[in-house]
Amino acid sequence: MKKYPIYLIVFWLALGIFVSAYSYLKLGLGKLHTPGPGMMPFLLGLLFSIISFYLLVNSLFKRSMEDKTITEEQGQINSRKVILVLASLFFYGLFLETLGYLIVTLITMTILFWTMGFVRWRSLGVASCLTVLVTYFLFTYLGVRFPAGILRAIGMY
Amino acid sequence: MDIFSGLLSGFQTLFHLNVLFYCFVGVFVGTLIGVLPGIGPIGTMAILFPATFGLSPTSAIIMLSGIYYGAMYGGSTTSILVNIPGEAASVVTCLDGYQMARQGRAGPALGISALGSFMGGTFSIIALMFLVFPLAELAVKFGPAEYFSLICLSMTVLTYLARGSFIKAALMALLGLILGSMGMDPLTGKPRFSFGSVSLLDGVGLVPVAMGLFGISEVLMNLEAQQSLSIFKTKVKNLFPNLQDWKRSIGPIGRGSVLGFLVGILPGGGAVMSTFLSYTLEKRLSKHPEEFGQGAIEGVAGPETANNAGAGGAFVPLLALGIPSSPIMGILLGALMVHGVSAGPLLITQHPEIFWGVIASMYVGNIMLLLLNLPLIGIWVKVLKIPKRILLPVILLCCLIGAYATNNNAVDVIIMIIFGIVGYILRKHDYELAPIILALVLGPLLETNFRNALIIGDGRLTTFFEKPISAVLLSISALLFLSTGFSNYRKTKKRIVEEVGDVD
Repeated sequence: MKKYPIYLIVFWLALGIFVSAYSYLKLGLGKLHTPGPGMMPFLLGLLFSIISFYLLVNSLFKRSMEDKTITEEQGQINSRKVILVLASLFFYGLFLETLGYLIVTLITMTILFWTMGFVRWRSLGVASCLTVLVTYFLFTYLGVRFPAGILRAIGMY
Repeated sequence: MDIFSGLLSGFQTLFHLNVLFYCFVGVFVGTLIGVLPGIGPIGTMAILFPATFGLSPTSAIIMLSGIYYGAMYGGSTTSILVNIPGEAASVVTCLDGYQMARQGRAGPALGISALGSFMGGTFSIIALMFLVFPLAELAVKFGPAEYFSLICLSMTVLTYLARGSFIKAALMALLGLILGSMGMDPLTGKPRFSFGSVSLLDGVGLVPVAMGLFGISEVLMNLEAQQSLSIFKTKVKNLFPNLQDWKRSIGPIGRGSVLGFLVGILPGGGAVMSTFLSYTLEKRLSKHPEEFGQGAIEGVAGPETANNAGAGGAFVPLLALGIPSSPIMGILLGALMVHGVSAGPLLITQHPEIFWGVIASMYVGNIMLLLLNLPLIGIWVKVLKIPKRILLPVILLCCLIGAYATNNNAVDVIIMIIFGIVGYILRKHDYELAPIILALVLGPLLETNFRNALIIGDGRLTTFFEKPISAVLLSISALLFLSTGFSNYRKTKKRIVEEVGDVD
């Protein structure tokens, strides 16, 4: 039987307590005939904490973790990929408005395609440029307005 | 407006060239993502959601609905040819569909799946038309107490029917409700959990959360899985099933239609659960249950019919009551809200063109899907050969663009990525994600109705039990909760006794 990981449940419990405390102290519960903005979140946080606590107690009584079937080496390679993908996504979110759609998408797509297994620079470049241009024209046609970023600042947009 | 003239006006709305075009785009994209393992209809609808802002509400809803029922058609192709379900509602089809393909009967399997889907889909549209009106008439009489109890029941049934642990599903539903309470208080306007951020004053948006949980996390899981697709090498021929196949399939198709529609109406039921129930039912009724899993055509016909009928059934609570029964319907509700249209009993009278347009588009969409899925099956087989190293980055980029385009705000992109990580962690620990989305949509409705009911009832909690409909709905919720709680308690008690015994 799979044991619920403790760290996640402790996080849930902390979240539930925080929501209840914040609602009670900062938002105000009001009265039953005039419920305040904190009443519903307070009740939800309370229920959330109770269920998390139940899971915590339950987890302590459960047996060992399931064996992971994935090999350690394969797991490391895939985790590295996941981290690289997430880093490139955060880069996109943080620099989209500063660098502009065209530049930031080109960089992100190059990293993503490379992470996924494109090894030759020429195919990597062609795939990235093509994706940027196709999505740019398609979504602009659909009415999406992309940020120009530094291209506007240097007068190229 | 009676049903016949309503339907006629629906067809008039639909047969404008641009509306028809978006109907086609919807079913085409739906089939495409149904065929491609890696992204489901929820993620796709969320990605394309911002692209519908420039459309008329009718075209937007028709296109998004088309994606949903189109995915139900397309999902069977990968199940039959690759043994990997294109989306969750096609998991069961793998069992017998793939075996049929191995026996050289991929054609009849794909054929009966498309024809069954067509029949199930058509049945559900007819049933939907007749059921929506009485339900909508009843819903007009609902006050805040009834709506609160109905939403409570929806949430309870959703968690009760969850595939995994009930407790974990309930936790996810509560998490969704907490997320839904972020932003400005609907009654007083006081900011809640925004921590001084202007971007969080409107709360967390449905689109970035849905795209993160269902799009980004799905790609991350795919990255880890390192699955490579090997298409079963067989010629797809004789798509039209023979007489013997029809004799064996007609019963499962009939039963799958009714069962799928009824299960589809239930919150959390939807297309996925209807396929499992249909498969179990057919296996029980069959004179040769041992053939199931070995390539029995009934095992393809029943579930494939049921998932399309379930997709139609899921529209009933949304159109009649304004309560979405699944995350997909939640996105449709969100799309209606963005266009300033409120779903529910008044939709039929205030926006008949949307209601009847959607109904008519489902008839025409089903015919389009039949044409797309039978004669053009070869194209979909080729689509399956698109390598993951191209597909996954493109899906990620569509998610990024979709999140940004919702409000032209990069903060939404960051929110989506954070929810992508959350979804990835939750999936790895077997938490269900669907309750989060549904609760996020229903949260503000639940709270507003709860507080309004208390204000009207002068603070008496008994107000929820004084109205008969509300009392019945809450009693059913309580019974479901108690029955699951009791069963969990017994299991835990037994385990503790065993543990103590082991220690002694």
